[in-house]
Amino acid sequence: MGFSFVLAVFGSTIAIIVIMGFLLYYFAVDYRKGLLGDTNSALPKTESNTMLSRMRRELSFSAFMMDDSKSIGIRYIVTSIVLFFIAGLAGIGMRLSLWFPNPSFLTPIQYNILLTAHGTLMLYGWAVGGILGLTYYLLPTSIKLRKDSLGTVSSIMYWMYLVGALLLIFSKSTATWYFYYPVVDQLTASGGGSYSFGGLIGVMLILTATITACIIFLKMIFIDRDKSIRLSSLPLFAWSVVSTAFLIISSAPVSMIADGFLIYDLINPIFFQGANGTALAYAIMFWFWGHPIVYVAVIPAFGLIYELLPRFTGTKIYSYRAGVLSLLLLMVLSGTVWGHHLFNSGLGTVWDLIFSTTSFIVAIPSAMSVFNWIATMWVGRVRMSVPVLFIINAIIDFIIGGVTGVMLGDVGVNQLLHGTYAVTAHFHFILLGLTTGMAFATFYVLFPTLTGGRNYNIPMAKVHFYLTSIGTWIMSGFWLVGGFAGMPRRVAGYFGIFQTYQDAAAIGGVVLGIGYLIFLINFLYSAYKPVETGTGNALEEEAVA
Amino acid sequence: MKLDNRTKAEVIWVIAVVAILSWAAVSNATYLQTHSENIANPVGPDPQGVIINVTGYQWAWAFQYPNGTISTDKLVLTNGTTYTLIVSSKDVIHDLYIPEFGVNIYAVYGHTNQITFKPTKAGIYLFECVEYCGEFHYEMRGTVVVT
Repeated sequence: MGFSFVLAVFGSTIAIIVIMGFLLYYFAVDYRKGLLGDTNSALPKTESNTMLSRMRRELSFSAFMMDDSKSIGIRYIVTSIVLFFIAGLAGIGMRLSLWFPNPSFLTPIQYNILLTAHGTLMLYGWAVGGILGLTYYLLPTSIKLRKDSLGTVSSIMYWMYLVGALLLIFSKSTATWYFYYPVVDQLTASGGGSYSFGGLIGVMLILTATITACIIFLKMIFIDRDKSIRLSSLPLFAWSVVSTAFLIISSAPVSMIADGFLIYDLINPIFFQGANGTALAYAIMFWFWGHPIVYVAVIPAFGLIYELLPRFTGTKIYSYRAGVLSLLLLMVLSGTVWGHHLFNSGLGTVWDLIFSTTSFIVAIPSAMSVFNWIATMWVGRVRMSVPVLFIINAIIDFIIGGVTGVMLGDVGVNQLLHGTYAVTAHFHFILLGLTTGMAFATFYVLFPTLTGGRNYNIPMAKVHFYLTSIGTWIMSGFWLVGGFAGMPRRVAGYFGIFQTYQDAAAIGGVVLGIGYLIFLINFLYSAYKPVETGTGNALEEEAVA
Repeated sequence: MKLDNRTKAEVIWVIAVVAILSWAAVSNATYLQTHSENIANPVGPDPQGVIINVTGYQWAWAFQYPNGTISTDKLVLTNGTTYTLIVSSKDVIHDLYIPEFGVNIYAVYGHTNQITFKPTKAGIYLFECVEYCGEFHYEMRGTVVVT
């Protein structure tokens, strides 16, 4: 089975997927025309342009046929939650396989496939997709958008994102989400996997979709927003979208260029196949995007906390000015810290110093936001409910994840912790506690709207919260301790002395999994109850007025 | 200039955060200045102490001592001697990690890095590869014997 055979099979597979996608899209457009006539939205043509900010949209398959902003938001939300569960299943498989020091029920290759699927799907599928979804859904209300624009482009970008996610699932790449150069182009089962470049193409499709969506967000905010909203009173969620969008547009293309070089290197290795360590050039181009993406996953969650907190404390946010400043500083500063992922690669002392210092500086705006939230809760009266539990947990987890992150930014400490489970613990605290937690908090707030007037079951939602919170603590906590003891990450097997940490983390992972299953059960149970409330919610109350 | 209470609180917490982070940044810079040979750097002109050439390949580590002998997945050191590891790779990117000595250094094809350290206690310690390198990444590990 030569290389050209693999390329032919893979190329034709992609061609078929793309053609099928376009055919499906063609039929969907046709179906929609039958459903709605020539409008792009569910509302009558005369109203659709003026009513967009007041429009509601439930979770329904018709969202896949319509091109208005809210329908596209629904598409991304549904897809990203499905991808979240697929990636979570991969994560639990990895945890269980690591119960014993030697690979147990997963062979190393299977473990590496799950490792790659978990990383790529969680970041590109869940974090990026979920953020795009919530932004498409909430932004029109937040900036009182009157006229939806570029709906068709957004729709095509969604389908590209979906094809990209499918490629990530089916590529069976074992190159991890870094796709570091020599491994990714070793098209064998023991290297990057036979179809490793399928993952690369998937990432490129998703990045194209994300960049285009971000340009549309910027257009919505700066050109299309209602004239009654001045830039100095733009909601903080909109500011977080501005920050994220600029970050993505400025850094993702670099990674896409590097991915393109990788695909070319498969055919004719000239870019990273140098004799003087040019493999590192890929690592540098990757981390130029690889660090901003973690802020891309975090900054919209900041925006959601800023958006949700005033509704549950009864006060305005403590300092609007500091909030905007923090979000914009994060945008600028987080583009300058990527080198801290490569301290040990031989950047040299001077670059190490520069990147570690910028890594300390980037903690300042994050801390400003954290204190802003604490102060808001301090001066307001917190109305306890499920979303507030998620917010408090998000803040605590972000403090832990942030402090361990600053520690990792210290070159000396980094020598001890680089590549260990301490790093995994650091970003799982943030991505599980903050990003995922805030996504689910927002989902709970939007629940009546999304399900057409049903309330979620509160005891079950609380169980979901406590299980996921405790699960995160057990899993990431034991990883952190194990990391300080020198437990390496991304391994299918490990030294027996680390078994305690791994077993405890496996228990934590299972607790987490049960928590999210309870969310799913709660959703399926509550969404089909009889209608009991209106479809209004806190995040859209301005649209009701 | 008169500040209201809210702004005062903001200024106080920003200053507190900046103070803590400045302390961290200064201690980090001092460490870099005084211990630059103890972190991973490209190979310099005069490595200190006993030089051991380390080569990572899929999926093992080879250590070549000054007398020419090579050991695989086992590093034998003498207590109290200063060592400099000169690390490179035959194929993909690896990362040699010896937690006990704070050694963490990339092995890159066509690029050599160096790191200096000095064992001060006899015993048997672990080393691992911590940069993902393919199917048997987890088996790229072994022991450091300090006598």
